[in-house]
Amino acid sequence: MEIPHEVTPRRDTGLYNAKLGVWLFLASEVMLFGGLFSAYIFLRVGIQDGVDNPWPWGLNVHKDFVWLGFINTLVLIASSVGVVFAWVALKERNWKLYQVYMYAVIGCAVIFMCLKGIEYNSKLNHHFGIKLKDNSVMEGELVNKTDRIRFEGATASVSLQGAVPVFIKSIPKGEFPIFKVTEGPGSEEGVEIHSDSELKAWFHKERRAISAKLTEERKRYRAELASGVANPTPVSVSSSAKLTSSEPFVLNANPRKVVLHSDSVVNFKDGSKVEGKLISDDVEFIVHEVDLQLVLPQKQRESIVWDVINDEGAKQQFFEQQDAEYRHLREYYEPRGEVIPEKMLRGHILNLHDVHLGGHHGDDHGDDHHDAVHKSEPKPSAEGAHEEAAHEHEDDHSISVPRDQIKFMGNHGPRYGNYYAIYFTMTALHGLHVIGGALVLLFFTVFGKKLYLKNPEHLANRIEVGGLFWHFVDLIWIFLFPLMYLL
Amino acid sequence: MAESTHDWGKHKKSYLIVFGALCFCTCLTLALGIFAPFDLGPPGPTPADFVIGLAVACFKASLVGLIFMHLNHERGLIYKLLVFTFLFSLGLMALTLFAGADPILEQYDTLESTKGKLMEKL
Amino acid sequence: MSAATAETHDQAQEEHHHVEPFWKKYIFSTDHKTIGIQYGFTSLVFLAFGFFLMMVMRWSIAYPDRAVPLLADWPWFQAWLDDSGKVTGDLYNMFGAMHGTIMVFLGIVPLAFGAFGNYVTPLQIGAPDMAFPRLNMASYWLYLLGGVLMFVSFFLPSGAAKAGWTNYSPLATTTDIHYGDLFWTGQTQWLVAMALLITSSLLGAVNFICTIINLRCRGMSWMRLPFFVWAMLVTGFLLLLAFPPLEVAAIMQLMDRMAGTSFFVPTGLNVSGMSFDAAGGGSPLLYQHLFWFLAHPEVYVLILPALAIVAEIIPCNTRKPLWGYKTMVYAVMVLGFLAFIVWAHHMYITGMGPAISTFFQTTTVLISVPSVILITSLLISMWGGSIRFNVPMLFATAFIPMFGIGGLTGLPLAFSLPDLHLHDTYYVIAHFHYVVAPGTIFGLFAGIYHWYPKLTGRMMSTRLGHLHFWPSLLFMNGIFAPMFIQGMAGFHRRAFDGGKAYEQISTQIFAEPNTFLANIAEILNVIEPDAALRMIDLNIVTSGSAWLLAVFQVPFIINLFISKFVGKKVSSDNPWDATTLEWATPTPPPHGNFLSEPVAYRGPYEYSVPGEASDFCPQFEDDPSKIPAKSEAGKEGDKPAV
Ligand code: HEM
Ligand SMILES: [Cu+2]
Repeated sequence: MEIPHEVTPRRDTGLYNAKLGVWLFLASEVMLFGGLFSAYIFLRVGIQDGVDNPWPWGLNVHKDFVWLGFINTLVLIASSVGVVFAWVALKERNWKLYQVYMYAVIGCAVIFMCLKGIEYNSKLNHHFGIKLKDNSVMEGELVNKTDRIRFEGATASVSLQGAVPVFIKSIPKGEFPIFKVTEGPGSEEGVEIHSDSELKAWFHKERRAISAKLTEERKRYRAELASGVANPTPVSVSSSAKLTSSEPFVLNANPRKVVLHSDSVVNFKDGSKVEGKLISDDVEFIVHEVDLQLVLPQKQRESIVWDVINDEGAKQQFFEQQDAEYRHLREYYEPRGEVIPEKMLRGHILNLHDVHLGGHHGDDHGDDHHDAVHKSEPKPSAEGAHEEAAHEHEDDHSISVPRDQIKFMGNHGPRYGNYYAIYFTMTALHGLHVIGGALVLLFFTVFGKKLYLKNPEHLANRIEVGGLFWHFVDLIWIFLFPLMYLL
Repeated sequence: MAESTHDWGKHKKSYLIVFGALCFCTCLTLALGIFAPFDLGPPGPTPADFVIGLAVACFKASLVGLIFMHLNHERGLIYKLLVFTFLFSLGLMALTLFAGADPILEQYDTLESTKGKLMEKL
Repeated sequence: MSAATAETHDQAQEEHHHVEPFWKKYIFSTDHKTIGIQYGFTSLVFLAFGFFLMMVMRWSIAYPDRAVPLLADWPWFQAWLDDSGKVTGDLYNMFGAMHGTIMVFLGIVPLAFGAFGNYVTPLQIGAPDMAFPRLNMASYWLYLLGGVLMFVSFFLPSGAAKAGWTNYSPLATTTDIHYGDLFWTGQTQWLVAMALLITSSLLGAVNFICTIINLRCRGMSWMRLPFFVWAMLVTGFLLLLAFPPLEVAAIMQLMDRMAGTSFFVPTGLNVSGMSFDAAGGGSPLLYQHLFWFLAHPEVYVLILPALAIVAEIIPCNTRKPLWGYKTMVYAVMVLGFLAFIVWAHHMYITGMGPAISTFFQTTTVLISVPSVILITSLLISMWGGSIRFNVPMLFATAFIPMFGIGGLTGLPLAFSLPDLHLHDTYYVIAHFHYVVAPGTIFGLFAGIYHWYPKLTGRMMSTRLGHLHFWPSLLFMNGIFAPMFIQGMAGFHRRAFDGGKAYEQISTQIFAEPNTFLANIAEILNVIEPDAALRMIDLNIVTSGSAWLLAVFQVPFIINLFISKFVGKKVSSDNPWDATTLEWATPTPPPHGNFLSEPVAYRGPYEYSVPGEASDFCPQFEDDPSKIPAKSEAGKEGDKPAV
C-alpha cells in the first residue's frame, strides 16, 4: 500500500504531505510561542509599580553576555543559510557538498548550545540576590555557592504516613549517623538504622504496618457504629516515630525545604523535624550591587540594607552615583520642558548601583567588623574547596546577612523573578527545539545516503521540511534576542 | 520542478544577499541597544526603542519567512493557514492585555453615587 | 494464535507482507482502522472509570452522613475515607478533578476524534490510510502514556490532582506543596500527563488536516466531502491552534511547582497563614486566559464530531439529503473561527471591566448563531422523511433535543449579569453536561451502532439497543434536569457534603425580599410549598438516576462484545443503504481500504433523487441504475421499530 503524495505535490494544493504537515505543525508552534510571548507582555505590562519586582533591563542583566546573545544570533542565521544551501546542493545532486553544509549546520547548533550553557552557568552559579525585609535588594555572590542552614542534629521526628521524610536529604553523603528508634508506634522500638536506604526500607515497612492497623481500627469503629454502640471509642493510631542519633550529626538543610527553624529545631515542609543545635543560619554574601527600586526615595537612606552592609563608604558611593544619574536625567528632561517621569524616578537608573565594600574611608571600621564576623564563624571542616573560594574573594569583603532580615533570595535562576522565569522558560524551550531540530538534521545527514540513492527528490523534500522547522527556530530567536537581551 | 534546467545560481545569490541583510540588521539591533548615540531618548528602554527593535525583528523575520522558507512562491493554502494563526495569536495577546487593562476600577458602593456620576457625565 | 502466525511468518516474508505478526497487526499497528479501534477501547475504559469516580461523588452528595457502601474496605480507597467510612473533602476534590479531566481529555476527545475520526475519515475521503501512519501510531501511544500516568497518579502518596479539571492557580500551584518530592505528586503528574496528551492531540490534528487536504480521492471536491469530514477538519484546526496555549500554561505551572517561578503567583501570597516563598509578581488571571483559550474551543472539539455523526445518520435513515449541507459547512467554519474569541465568558466574575466583557458577551451571542444553524438543519432534515427508527437513529434523534437543551441554557450564561448569579452553581454543571452527556455521548453511541457492521460484519442487537437507549434517555434527564433547578436556587457546585452550608442559610436568603432567589422561591412555591427549602432532596433523585444509568450501560457492553460473535451477519457491504464512501469498502476493510481506486462521482447525500429508480445514489457508484433496489438490512429497517 502506498500513501499518495508522499514525494510529489498534489496538483490542486501544490503540496506534498510532509510539507503541508510541517506547516501545520509550525502553525501550532506559532501559537505555542505566541502564548509565551503573550505571557511575556502580560507579565511585563502588568507589573504594579512599587509592589511587584521591577522588570530588569535586559542589558543590565546580561552585561558581558549580550555579546554571547549577539554571536548566537549570527550563528543561528548562518545555520539557516547552511540549510538552504544543503537543500540546493541536493537539488543539484551534489552529495558531498550537501554533507559539508549539513555538518556545518549541526556545528552551528552545537556552538549555539555551548554559548547558551556558558550563559546559564553564569546566572545559576555566579549571581545571587537577596531581598531584605524592606524590599531593598543586594546583588552579588554567595560565598559557599549554595545556601544552607547548618545544624547539628540529635533527634529526628517523622510521621510514618505519606512520603519518605525529606530531612534525610539534608544529611551530607557519608555522614549518616546511627539512628535508634526511640519512640515509635510500638513494635519496632530499639531498631538501629545505619544508612538512608535502611531508613527508607524501615519507613516503608512501618507505613504498611500502620495502614494495616488503621484499616483494622476503622473496621472495628464502623462495626461499632453500625451496631449502635452509644459512644464508640474513636479510632486512634499513632503514626509518629522518633529517631535518636548516637552522636550529633551534621544537617545542611535547604532553606526551601524548611518551614521554620529556631536555635534548637528545624521543621521541614513535610512535617518531619530535627532537634539539636543551630550552628549558623546566616547567609555569607559578597555584595556587588544594591537595588533600591522598591524602597521609597525618602526612605532609602534609612534602609536596612545599610545596616546589613554596615559600610559607610559603600553607602556614600551609592548615593553619589544616584546624584550623578539624577543630574543626567535633569539635563535630558529640563531642556525639553518636561518633568522627570515618575517611572524614571523609581526605575533602575537612579536606584540600582554598584557598591564596593571596604573602598573609601570607613575602611578600617568595616574591615574590623567583618573580620570579627569571619572569625566567629566556624567553617565546616570538610569543605576545603570552599575555603579556597573564600580566599579568592578575600578582598571582596563578604558580609553575613542574618536570615531573619531576609524576605526572599535566590540565584538568578528562574525563581528569581518573572523576567528570569520567562527568560529561562523561553530560552530553554527554544534550546530544546534547537536540539531536536539538530538531531533530526543529523539523522538525515548520517543515514540519508540510502534514500538519496533511491530517490534523491525524497531526501531533498525531507531537508526542505527539516529546514522549514530550522528556520522557524531561527525566527523565534530573532525575537528573543532583542526582547530578552536588549530591551 | 525540473531540477536539471533550474537555475540554482540565482537562488544561491539571493540567499547570500539575505544572509548579509540579516547580519546587518542584527548589528543594527545590537547597536540600538548598547551604543548610546543610537539610543533614543533617556537611558533604558523607551517605547521608541521597543518600536524600532521589534520593527527590525519583524523585518528580519519576514526575510527568513519569505526567502528561506520559500513563502514568496508558496501556495495560497499556506497563507490562509498562517493568516488565521497570526490572527488568533494576536487575539490571544491583545485580548488578554485588554482584559488586564480594563478592570472594574471603582467600587460603585451606593446607587446614589453611581447616579451622581452619571448625572455629571450628562 | 501466535504459533500460527509464527508458522506463516517465513512464507509471508517471501510472498507478501500481508500476514503480519500479531503484535504488529494489533498492537503496534500503523493502520488507521486498528488505531481507531485502539483509541475506541481505551477511551471507553476511561469513560467507565470517570463514571465510576462520579458515582462515588454522587454518594457523598446524596448521603453525606453514611459510609460509602461496598468500597469502604479496600485499603487504598479506605485511606482516603474518614474513620466512619465517609468520603472526605480531599477525596471528593480528587475524584471531581479527575472525573472532569478523564471525561474530557481521556474519554470524549479520544473517542470522538481519535476513534471515529481515525476509523471513518480516511474511508470517507477514499484514502488508503492517514497521511502519516507512523505519526498516527505515536499519537495513540502518547495518549495511552498520558492516560496511564493520570491513572497511576491516584496511587501516589499525595493522591491524584485535586484542584479541579481547570487546575486554576494559585490553588493548583500550592496544592500538596509540602511533599518532599514534588515531582511525584498527583498535581505535578497531572501537568506532565497533560503535556503528553496535548502533544498527542497536536500530532493527531496535524495528521487529520493533512489527510483531509491532501489525500482526498479523485472526484472528492470540497463540496462533496461528507459533513463528518468537514467537522473533523474544523475540529483538527481547533485542536491545532487552541491546544498550544494550554501547553504553555501547563509548562508555566510546572515551572511554578518545580522550579519555584511565580508566573501565576501574585506578590504577597499567603498559604495556610505562611507567606509563600516565591518572588511573586505573577498573575493568576494569566493562567485562566491561557486555560480558557483552549478550553472553550475544546467544548466544540467535544461536540462537533458527535454532531457530525448525527449528521451522517439522519440522512441515511430519513432517506433524504442533509438539509442545508452548504450552510452547515459554512456555519461550522464560522463556528470554528468564533470559538477562538469567546473564551473570557468563563471569566466574567474575575473583575473584567465593562468594555471587554461587552466584547465577549457579543462574540458569545454571535457564536450561538452557527450552532443554531447546525441543529436546525438537522431538525429540518427529518421533516417529511420516511424515518427508519433503528437504534442509531434513536440515539441521533435524542441527540437533537438534548443538545438543544444544553445549548439554550447556555444563553443566560453568555450575559455577565445572569452569569454572576449562575456561575459555579449546579446550573452550569447541568448546562454543559446536557451538551456532553446526553448530547455528545448519545451521538457517539449512535456512531457505534451505525458503524459497527462495517467494523465487524455483524449487526448489533436491536433488542439490547432498545434496552440501552430508553433507560439511558430517562436517567440522563433524571440526573441533569434537577441540577438546573438547584442551580437557579443558588446551589453551589463542588460541595462534597451535599450542600450543608446551603441548607443552613437557605432559609435566610430565600426570605430576603426582592432578591433573585426570593423570586425563584416564589415560583417554586407555586409548584410545591417549601420547595425552595428542599433543594437538597433533589440530590437523591440525581444520584439515584446516576447509578441506574450505570446499570443500563450493561446491555450496551454485552451488546458490544457478543454481537461480534452472535450478531446477525450483514448481507452486503452497505447494510444501511448509505451513500458515503466508507460503505464501498469490503467488510471489514482490509489494510489499504479499497480494492480498486475509489472515485467520488457526486455529492455525499443523494438520497431519494427524483427520477432515479433507487432511493439512494452512492458517491462511489458511477451508474445509479446498477444499485440494487433494497438490501436486506434496509428492508428490516423499514419495519416498525420495536
Ligand atoms: C453521564 C454521566 C455524568 C455524570 C452523572 C456526571 C456528574 C458530574 C458531577 C456530579 C460533577 C461534579 C459537580 C461538582 O461537584 O462540582 C461533574 C463535574 C464535571 N464533569 Fe461530569 N458527569 C457525567 C459525565 C461527564 C462527561 C461525559 C463529561 C465530559 C466532558 C463530564 C465532564 C465534567 C467536568 C469537566 C466536570 C467539572 C469537574 C471539576 O469540577 O473540575 N462529565 N460531573
Ligand atoms: Cu466557553
